[in-house]
Amino acid sequence: MTSVTEEKPVAKVRRSVLAGQAVLTAVGAYVLAESAGLGLWNDLGPGPGFFPCILGAALVLLSAAWFFQERAGVQAAPAAEASDRSQVRAVVLSLLVLAAALPFIGFQTGVFLFLMYHLRLRARTSWIKSLVIALCGSVGVYYLFTLGLNVSLPEAGLVPLSLIGL
Amino acid sequence: MDVLNELLGGFASALTWQNLLFAFVGCLLGTVIGVLPGIGPVAGVALLIPLTLNLDAAGSIIMLCAIFYGTTYGGTITSVLLNTPGEAASAITILDGYAMTKLGRAGVALTIAAAGSFIGGSLATAGLVLAAKPLGSLGLMIGPPEFFALVVVGISLLVALAGRSMVRALISGALGLLISMVGIDPVAGAPRFTFGMERLLDGVSFVAVIVGLFGLSEILSHRPGKDKVTVQAPGMRSLLPTRTDWRRSTPAFARGTGIGFGLGLIPGMTGSVSSLLSYGAEKKFSRHRNELGHGAIEGVAGPETANNAHANGALIPLFTLGIPASPTIAVLMGAFLQQGLTPGPTLFAEHAEIAWTIIASLFIGNILLLVLNVPLVGLWTSILKVPYPVLTGLILMFMVVGAYTINFSVFDVFVMILFGVIGLALRHLDIPLAPLVLTLVLGPLMERSLRESLDISRGDLTIFLERPVTVVLLLVALAIVCSPLLKLRKPAALAAEDPET
Repeated sequence: MTSVTEEKPVAKVRRSVLAGQAVLTAVGAYVLAESAGLGLWNDLGPGPGFFPCILGAALVLLSAAWFFQERAGVQAAPAAEASDRSQVRAVVLSLLVLAAALPFIGFQTGVFLFLMYHLRLRARTSWIKSLVIALCGSVGVYYLFTLGLNVSLPEAGLVPLSLIGL
Repeated sequence: MDVLNELLGGFASALTWQNLLFAFVGCLLGTVIGVLPGIGPVAGVALLIPLTLNLDAAGSIIMLCAIFYGTTYGGTITSVLLNTPGEAASAITILDGYAMTKLGRAGVALTIAAAGSFIGGSLATAGLVLAAKPLGSLGLMIGPPEFFALVVVGISLLVALAGRSMVRALISGALGLLISMVGIDPVAGAPRFTFGMERLLDGVSFVAVIVGLFGLSEILSHRPGKDKVTVQAPGMRSLLPTRTDWRRSTPAFARGTGIGFGLGLIPGMTGSVSSLLSYGAEKKFSRHRNELGHGAIEGVAGPETANNAHANGALIPLFTLGIPASPTIAVLMGAFLQQGLTPGPTLFAEHAEIAWTIIASLFIGNILLLVLNVPLVGLWTSILKVPYPVLTGLILMFMVVGAYTINFSVFDVFVMILFGVIGLALRHLDIPLAPLVLTLVLGPLMERSLRESLDISRGDLTIFLERPVTVVLLLVALAIVCSPLLKLRKPAALAAEDPET
C-alpha cells in the first residue's frame, strides 16, 4: 500500500486583498518603529509607546496570518461586489471640494452648490425641485442650526459673500 | 422604595417639556433612520450627535437613546411593506410581515409590531430599573484596576462581533485601538502619531470617524438600481387588529420579551440574534406554527417584541457596567463620554439624577413611539418614495454638518471623507467594522485605566490579581475570548450574515 500525500491547491489571492494586506503590514511596521521612539517602559510601568508597539506588532502578525489564510483558502474574504466607480468619484470629489471651499464661501453657498450638483446634475431632478431642496438644505439648515440649536456653521470669508451675510 | 423614589424623581425631570421634546424629536429621527435605506443605526446615531451638542447632558442622551430605539421601530415598516429590512434586527419580520402585506393585512402587522415593540421595550426598561441599583452600588468598589478589567471585558466582546473571520475582526479591533491612540498620551502627555499637526493633538474626532466609516462608506458602496420600490401605505381602518390577532400575539409577546431581554444582557449578541431566535421559538411553540411564513401574526409579534426588548435590555450592561453590547451602543457610549458622563457603576454614584432621568425617558420614549408609529405610517412610507439620489445629497449634507460641528473645524470633514474611503476599502476586503467601533470607544479608557493602575502599584502587574472584583472580571473576559472554542457563539448562519457585525 502506498501512501499518497495530497497537496492542497494554493488559492490565488485577489490583488486588492494583497494590496490591503500590504498596506496593513506597512501601517503596522510604521507604528512599531514610531512607538519605539516614544518610550516603551519606565519606572511607573508602560510608557507612551507601549500600547502602540503591541498594536503595531499585532497588526503585522495578523496581516501575515490573513495572507496565509487566504492562500490556504481558510475563511477567505469573498469577492466583493464592485461599487459604482462614478458614484464613488462624484461623491468623494464633491465632498472634498465642499470641505475645501467652506471657509471661503461659507455653509449656505457651499451646500447650495453642493446640493444643486447632486440633485440637478447627478439625479436629474427638475430645476424647481432642485432649487427648493437646495435652498432648504443650505439656508434652512443654516438657520435651524445657528438660531434653533445655537450651533454655528461656517460663514463666508470672501468679501462680497461675507458682506451680504452668507 | 429607594429605587421607586429615584425613578419617580427621574420621571419628574423626564416629563419637563424640553425633555419630552427631545424624546419626541429623537423618536421621529430614529424612525426615519430606521426607514431609510443606506443609513444604519450606527451611522445614524453618530450623525445626529452634533444636534445634541448644545443640550444639557440628560437632554442629549434622552434624544440619542430615543433615536437608538426608534431605529428598531422604523426598520419594521420597510420589512412589512417592502420586503426590505430597514435595519438588520427586523430582517426576519419579512417572512410573515410581507406575507401579511400580500394578504392585505399590512396595517395589522404594523400595529402588532408596534405593540410588541412597546411591550418588549417597556418590560426591558423595567429590568434596567431593577438591575440599576444593585449593579450601580458596585460603583463604590471601582478603582482604576477594576475599571481596566471592565474595559477588558468590553473589548473581549469583539470575539462575538467577528463575522466570517476572527483574524480580520482582530485587524479591525487593532485599527480602532490605533486610531484611538492618535493625540496626546493620557498619562505622560507626549504627542503620538500627530504628524506634527496641531489639530491631531486632541485625537481624531470620534464622530467624524464613525460617520465616515459607517455612513459615507455605505453611500459609496451603494449600487444604483437596488432600491426601486413601489409602496402603498395602509389606511387607518386596516390598522386595527382583531381580537383573535391580539389573542394569538400575546404568547409571542411574552416569549419575545424573555428572549430579547435575556440576550440583550449578553454583550456581543445583536438584535438580529434575538429576533431570529424568537422566530425559532414561535416555530417550536406556537399553536399556529404551520402558518408561519405564510402571514402568521406570531411571526411578526415575536421577533418585533424580541428586538425591542433586546435594544432596551442591552442598555443594562452599558448603564451599570459601562460595557457597550453592540456597535450602536458603543456610539451611544461615545456620546455619554462627550457629555462628560462615564457610563458604568460610577454613573449612579456621580450622576444619579441624570441616570434616572434617562431611564424614565426610556418608558416615555416607548409610549411616544407607539403613539407616533401606527398613525403616521403613511408619512414614513412617503419617505421611501423620495428618489435615492435626492436622499443621498441630503444625507451627505448632514454628514458634513455632523463632522464639522463636533469641533467647528473643516479638518474633521476631511477626516470624515478619509474614513469614508477607508470604510469602503474595509468593506471591500470583508473586514468587519463593528470591532473597530468597539475598540475606538474603549481603547483610550483601557489605556488610561491600565496606566493609572500601574501608577498606583508602581509598575507592579500583580495589582490585577490582588483585587477580587478585578480577578472575576478578567476571568469573565477570558471566558468570552475562549467562547468560540466552547461554541458559545451566535448561530452559525448569523455569524456570516449578520449585517450588524
